[in-house]
Amino acid sequence: MANKNQYAMLFDATRCIDCRACMVACSVENNIPMDKTRIWVSGIGVSGQYPNLTRSTMVYHCMHCLEPDCASACPVGAWTKREDGPVVYNSEVCIGCRYCMNACPFGVPKFDWDKGIVEGPLIDKCSMCAHRIDDGLEPACVATCPTDALVFGDREELIAEAHGRIAAHPDRYVNHVYGETENGGTSYLVLSHVPFKDLGLPEGIGDEPLNTLSEQYVGNTIPVALTWATVLGAVTAGVHTYKHKNHKAESLVKETAEAAEEEIQ
Amino acid sequence: MKLKIRLSEKLHLTPGITIMLILIAWGLFVAMVRYANGIGAVSNLNDTYSWAFWISFDLFCGVALGSGAFTMAAIIHIFEIERFKPLLRPAILTGFLGYVMVIVALLVDLGRPERIWHMIVYQNHHSVLFEIGICVMTYTTVLAIEFAPVLFEGLRLPKIAHMLHRIVIPFVILGVVLSTLHQSSLGGLLLIQRSTLHPLWWTPILPLLFFISAIVVGLGMVILESSLSSRALHRGLEISLLSELASYIPYGLGIYLLLKFADLAYFGDLHYLFSSGMMSVLFWLEIIVGAVVPIIMFSQAKIRNSANGLLIGSLFVVVGLMINRFNVSWFAVEHIRNLPLAPDFMTQTSYFPSFMEVSISVGIVAAGVLAFTLAAKYLPLFEEEEETAVHEKTSALPRIQVQSGD
Repeated sequence: MANKNQYAMLFDATRCIDCRACMVACSVENNIPMDKTRIWVSGIGVSGQYPNLTRSTMVYHCMHCLEPDCASACPVGAWTKREDGPVVYNSEVCIGCRYCMNACPFGVPKFDWDKGIVEGPLIDKCSMCAHRIDDGLEPACVATCPTDALVFGDREELIAEAHGRIAAHPDRYVNHVYGETENGGTSYLVLSHVPFKDLGLPEGIGDEPLNTLSEQYVGNTIPVALTWATVLGAVTAGVHTYKHKNHKAESLVKETAEAAEEEIQ
Repeated sequence: MKLKIRLSEKLHLTPGITIMLILIAWGLFVAMVRYANGIGAVSNLNDTYSWAFWISFDLFCGVALGSGAFTMAAIIHIFEIERFKPLLRPAILTGFLGYVMVIVALLVDLGRPERIWHMIVYQNHHSVLFEIGICVMTYTTVLAIEFAPVLFEGLRLPKIAHMLHRIVIPFVILGVVLSTLHQSSLGGLLLIQRSTLHPLWWTPILPLLFFISAIVVGLGMVILESSLSSRALHRGLEISLLSELASYIPYGLGIYLLLKFADLAYFGDLHYLFSSGMMSVLFWLEIIVGAVVPIIMFSQAKIRNSANGLLIGSLFVVVGLMINRFNVSWFAVEHIRNLPLAPDFMTQTSYFPSFMEVSISVGIVAAGVLAFTLAAKYLPLFEEEEETAVHEKTSALPRIQVQSGD
């Protein structure tokens, strides 16, 4: 299990006013062109039935899973879950295979499709501004947010805070903190007044990390290989001995018969 | 052993070879564009469809279709069923060329092909893809060693060839172990996609299903490749041997079907069989083409013993497997939209392979076919042709005529 005392972000959809300052702050901080933005603010529009209409907005970040599937899938270990929360990328080792993009159930990592072999394409995604955390600062998006729709802090404390908000206004929120348990827990937590599905968050991922089974599978590689090699070696030797014996027996019968024939003559 | 050295023979630029050369040249040109301007310049791959045609065709189909090499090596060297020996060398060569083709294709598909060696240095022991990478690299080397005797015979170095012959058994065992691992692991690669792969395909026993289907398609490929090369190279066809191989196929596919449907029943997914629209159609397509039809065809001795029956039956096995691998790695995967609900100009959510994307794969296949043709011409690929196949030739020919006369 990952470290309990790690940083996380809490997004409260009821507080977001769709101003998109976080997007701009992120692109400036991380020097990302706006068309390759790491976060995307999406106005979902009006939902519900008249007269109970609501507007909602979702801010998509990397979910910073406690047991990240990208990190489990990467053949060269380019992804690391830091002890203090962020899932970070090592651009020096990445081979550009894009298995992480396939493995991520949230569709987060992005690839430089327009870069040739000289520029060298890389994968990009939100890093929770790990370099700012190292300097004792909040992520740029959180620091910018004018309504505190995004807050940053200790994961356990943020979960308690989220449940506190639900308890204070049970009529306002869906009674669930998305990310508390999903995919084994994430360090990006979401509170919402509309169903999480409407915010574009995948449902049915389950609480067990997706990579549990595949990691068990890979863990069995060496024992399976050794057992299988032993079995095959034994079979080869067995078949060979058996055929050789039969062959010997056949030639022995033949020789005896020939000898007998000679004697008769 | 007879050596048939025909290096003096001139290579004529037949129409077939000319077409291959054109396809290869065009593929090379597209690859240059890809290296200069990026994967997006030649393919329609995008952040939502990060893996599609190349991975499904080059990796998933390519590795499975190369499995004839380990299947035949196991039959001949481990179980010592010597009568199949005439089929071994072409199968090993097909496997070797197949794996080289997979690696070449990955060098185009990888964003950073110059870092492919990173897999050996920066190992992530939790990654199924790491295991596959190591297995494929090692197994390609093993196949080269298994094929080396043929090369040395062709180069008139029978002593080295004979020496390699004597140490082949450990390499065969290593090859079977490596094949078992990575053929299964291609299924294992999809275990992590539980939330995105359709329940008709996702199951914890995906690795087992991949392994069984790889063995079956290995036999199918040996039959198909012998049938095709006998026609293209005007050789005899080892009908009795191929017929015996074909008779194993219904058993393999029977086990596969049993496991597949038992698994669907166990996880309570049977209701998806008819309720998932296009997914149900794709599922039944792969089951009928790849399993039901070949089982029916190859259970009948009459079809097994005819050259056309072998060709068509094995074609069904191979095409059915390709549909399965395309389904499981592309069509049945729910592609999570990158940045959900963002406008289309930022995140493309549709995908259809581009002409240039496909032409890279076509060029690689053409290079493989050309290499096989050259090997058949200049190397003692069909070593025991004189002893075994020639008398089959006489028995095979009338059958072909009977077929065409029908």
